Amino acid sequence: MILEKVIAAYSEAVFDTDRDKAFEVIHEAIAQGVTPEDIVFKVVIPSMEQMIKAISEDFDANLAQHFMASQIASQVTDEMVAQFQTSPETIGRVVIGTSHGDMHTLGKRIVSGCLRSLMIDVIDLGVNVSAERFVDTALEQDAGIIAISSMMVHTARSEYSCLAVRELLKQRRLEDRIKIIVGGAPYTWDRELYKVVQADAWASDGISAGKVIKDLIMEMHK
Amino acid sequence: MITGMDRLVAAIKGEKADRIPVFCNLLDQGVKELGLASLHDYYQLGEYVAEGQLKMREKYGYDNVWSLFYVGKEAELLGCRKILFSPDGPPNVEHFVIQSYDDIHNLEIPDDIIHHPVFAEELKCLQILKREVGGRYPICGYVTASMALPALLMGMDKWFELLFMGPPDVRDELLAKCSLFCQRHIAALRELGVDVIVYANPFGSTDFVPLPYIIKTGMPWMKQDLSAGTQGIVYYCGGARFNQVIESVISQIGIETYYLSPLDDIATGKQIINGRGLTCGVINDIKLIDWSEEQIRQEVKRMLAAGMAGNKFLFGTILMPYKIPERNIRAMLDAVYEFGQF
Repeated sequence: MILEKVIAAYSEAVFDTDRDKAFEVIHEAIAQGVTPEDIVFKVVIPSMEQMIKAISEDFDANLAQHFMASQIASQVTDEMVAQFQTSPETIGRVVIGTSHGDMHTLGKRIVSGCLRSLMIDVIDLGVNVSAERFVDTALEQDAGIIAISSMMVHTARSEYSCLAVRELLKQRRLEDRIKIIVGGAPYTWDRELYKVVQADAWASDGISAGKVIKDLIMEMHK
Repeated sequence: MITGMDRLVAAIKGEKADRIPVFCNLLDQGVKELGLASLHDYYQLGEYVAEGQLKMREKYGYDNVWSLFYVGKEAELLGCRKILFSPDGPPNVEHFVIQSYDDIHNLEIPDDIIHHPVFAEELKCLQILKREVGGRYPICGYVTASMALPALLMGMDKWFELLFMGPPDVRDELLAKCSLFCQRHIAALRELGVDVIVYANPFGSTDFVPLPYIIKTGMPWMKQDLSAGTQGIVYYCGGARFNQVIESVISQIGIETYYLSPLDDIATGKQIINGRGLTCGVINDIKLIDWSEEQIRQEVKRMLAAGMAGNKFLFGTILMPYKIPERNIRAMLDAVYEFGQF
């Protein structure tokens, strides 16, 4: 019962982009005996999944809500994980960065925060990332997903961006091991663009990317 | 002969010229017209940009020219030392002026933009445009709103962090400086004869922030940015939607031209504006890369059917991607010239 109330209060604070209130709810729950593990697995993750579901059902969340939801969730998760009795298992690993020539960081940050709160390990390569670096890092770090964020249409479609990552995966026969997901403004404007750049999947916003990536990971684990 | 300015003035007054005005925003494409090796070369000289603008307007027959080089120019005026050029798209800000809160305290806003060395080439470009087409074709300038400018100075995610989670005094100090820059930039462009100033503010869109936030927090900054008046100002949210915001902007700020998002419903936008200003229906120009000429023609026809009734309407694009084939630019314009006739 207490967890239901915590989820409701926490979700409301996240929806209102009220970070202080969200932390207040979590800290009160901890004071009442809720474990850090339950905060992550029974509050933060279900709340994030509720938001993903709401967005998929046409709830018109804006960028500020996406940003704050992901930041609050990842910050709460970081704080709670530090208090876990045993190290948590992550469900998969993602290498993320902006495409070659692209300096825009917001989308990548929202996705990263969302993924961390879903217990997915994130390796953030920053901005203006070359195809070689994406693929080499994914191999070195045993990541199953490469996530490429682009804010501009020419960086999304560039032969040095997703198309080059695809080419490298083909050359190195890694297409079964590593999947590519793309996102960012150009993909929202042209919903077929992910096919043009030969990605495996795309997401229309940073929060939904959490679900798309989680689903891809689960599919690869089958 | 009817000019672009005649068409624009007629549209503002709700009168009919030969056809609706067409604002076709080709920037990077100028490099091809001049046969230069790279966009980096093209943007080094005001003469090049002016010539590119004049050649493209002449070649395609649309109604406006731009004094804008690329959006990052504003960051350069505020100290940005590195722009990342691309072979086939707009340059990006690579060096962010603000790396820490101390950089906000130290940020200096130039008193005199017109004579600032970084503005020298834009000044030349503007002078050429004014001389060649002034009074006949509207000269457009681009100014980033105070609430959006920090994204060019520190990156969007750091700006979101400061805006929503940072110390309010630091945030407000930055916004005050950005608003001052915005006001001075607008004043400079007006003094140099720019006719139309696109006031770019993604934070005025409900895709970015909730409506109550825009009304409570965004609106006061917009008022401050535009305290010298709204003559020639165009409300534009970087392609993001703002139909829900129009009523508040009209009643509180009085802007008279709205450059809708391609995702906004044109008829709804026009209904909200309700004759109190000019509505620009904007095509999804990313789709222009792959659409067939027939698809483009049908889309233009649909847009104009939604927007032309009752006049006070023009057709526009966002900043058109470099990869749009020339035949598709022509297909779009031919369709507007055909269906946009009165």
